[in-house]
Amino acid sequence: MPGDQLDLSIPTVPGGGRLPARLAPMQPGEGTAPFDDPAYLFEAWWPGTRAQAWIEDGHLVRLRAEGLADALTAFSELSEELPERLMEDGVLLDGWLLALDEGGWLDTDLLRRRLAGDRHAGRPAFVASDLLWSGGSDWQRRPFNARRLRLEAVLLDGDRCVVSHALRGEGTLLAEALARFGLGAISARRLDARYRGGPAGDAWLRVPLVPEPITERPRLALIQRLPLAEASG
Amino acid sequence: MARSMWRGAIQFGLVTIPVKLYLATEQGGIGFNLLHASCLNRIQMKVYCPYHDEVIPRSETVRGYEWSKGKYVVVTEEDVDSVPLKTMRAIEIEMFVNATRDNQGAQFVKAAYYLEPEQIGAKAFYLLKSVLAEQGKSAICKIVLKDREQLAALNPFSNTMLLTTLHWPDEVRAIDELNLPEDQIELKASEKKMAEQLVASMTGDFSADEYHDDYRQALMAVIERKVAGEKPEPAARTEPTNITDLMAALEASVAAARHDRKAAKADAKAAEVEAEAPRQRRRKTA
Repeated sequence: MPGDQLDLSIPTVPGGGRLPARLAPMQPGEGTAPFDDPAYLFEAWWPGTRAQAWIEDGHLVRLRAEGLADALTAFSELSEELPERLMEDGVLLDGWLLALDEGGWLDTDLLRRRLAGDRHAGRPAFVASDLLWSGGSDWQRRPFNARRLRLEAVLLDGDRCVVSHALRGEGTLLAEALARFGLGAISARRLDARYRGGPAGDAWLRVPLVPEPITERPRLALIQRLPLAEASG
Repeated sequence: MARSMWRGAIQFGLVTIPVKLYLATEQGGIGFNLLHASCLNRIQMKVYCPYHDEVIPRSETVRGYEWSKGKYVVVTEEDVDSVPLKTMRAIEIEMFVNATRDNQGAQFVKAAYYLEPEQIGAKAFYLLKSVLAEQGKSAICKIVLKDREQLAALNPFSNTMLLTTLHWPDEVRAIDELNLPEDQIELKASEKKMAEQLVASMTGDFSADEYHDDYRQALMAVIERKVAGEKPEPAARTEPTNITDLMAALEASVAAARHDRKAAKADAKAAEVEAEAPRQRRRKTA
């Protein structure tokens, strides 16, 4: 995890303005194969839908998901938990909306049903991967490294909201781990890149994994029995 | 291959190609018999006449067509045989169409049959197949199967041709009653691009071998265990977990991958040392 490798100081932000009404999400470029590079932070490309969350005046005021007019209604459980887990107000997050089945595993069918308006399908989750506004201030021009540290400091992991766990530099290792999960891609973001609406070029890549035949989906209980000593990397 | 289920000829214009027909598919489900729960003997379906209040033999039944509510006309075997049908022993090609998705009627398929040419017609059979394949055409034809005239499409398939029977237009339900607001939906260019990317990333060659009927296999396993005298256990249910558990599982997976890498590195180093040792010994003795 990057926490022990990066500067953890949190700048104090004077009370800022209102969150922007409009936002053009950054769109990743297409990578070719997993790689190792200390200039990049690698995380899972979660099989969910990209989403941005606006938290203002202690409320989740807007949840924008790709191709969905009213994600807030479809994922209403998040309106309570997300503001509660945030240590400050005036925050704009970028991440993924997911749906989990009863066993806590990612289920794209349940997600599809959720997105189609079935509010009882699966258990919703938001995995945050970037922070664009914090404390009412625009953080988009700051390097991803700083935004990420800020994100880890202000969002506490909860039952439905977490910061996506990531590895610095070790793309191929994460690719191996994710292949065991049956996930199809990793995200690689340059730590010095600012957040820019539209195509990200090399600043953010979606790197496909070589598909491996998955005989059965991983069971959480089995995975958790594996040695955890080096889990924090 | 099993016995052919039909013999006849493909006919178009003045050309006649004698062929045999084989069912291309079989039912994949697991068959069950209905038993009486108390004695476990197979039950029998009896034909019952409510007017006479008695069970009657099947031989005493006739086919009736309900032409008005509660009014029937009896249709006998002779009536059926007297129907003049050109397509009795023939696959009568009516027309050729482009084998594209635009031919929407050809999408409502019923069953698929393989064709095998009789020796005498093999050349004409493959001539027709190659023309259909090269021109991307599909032959729309009629054939009588199981006492019914069927609409069908004939297409090249591997080293034979596939005859797929189709539903008649009046058997296909209209879509008027469905709520289909295609006209009211506006698609943004960016949304379209995203969808195109998704489609491109999931595009591949379809290979039916990669797909299995998982339900059937699992059900068969339950049956086999029961036959072996084991009581089937209910499927294991895991306790509900949340997204933090998923992240923990990911961390564990990363740790396991790191552990495997270290072990592989250690093995490689050990092999290197082992390879190095005899060389050092040689140097000493030299």
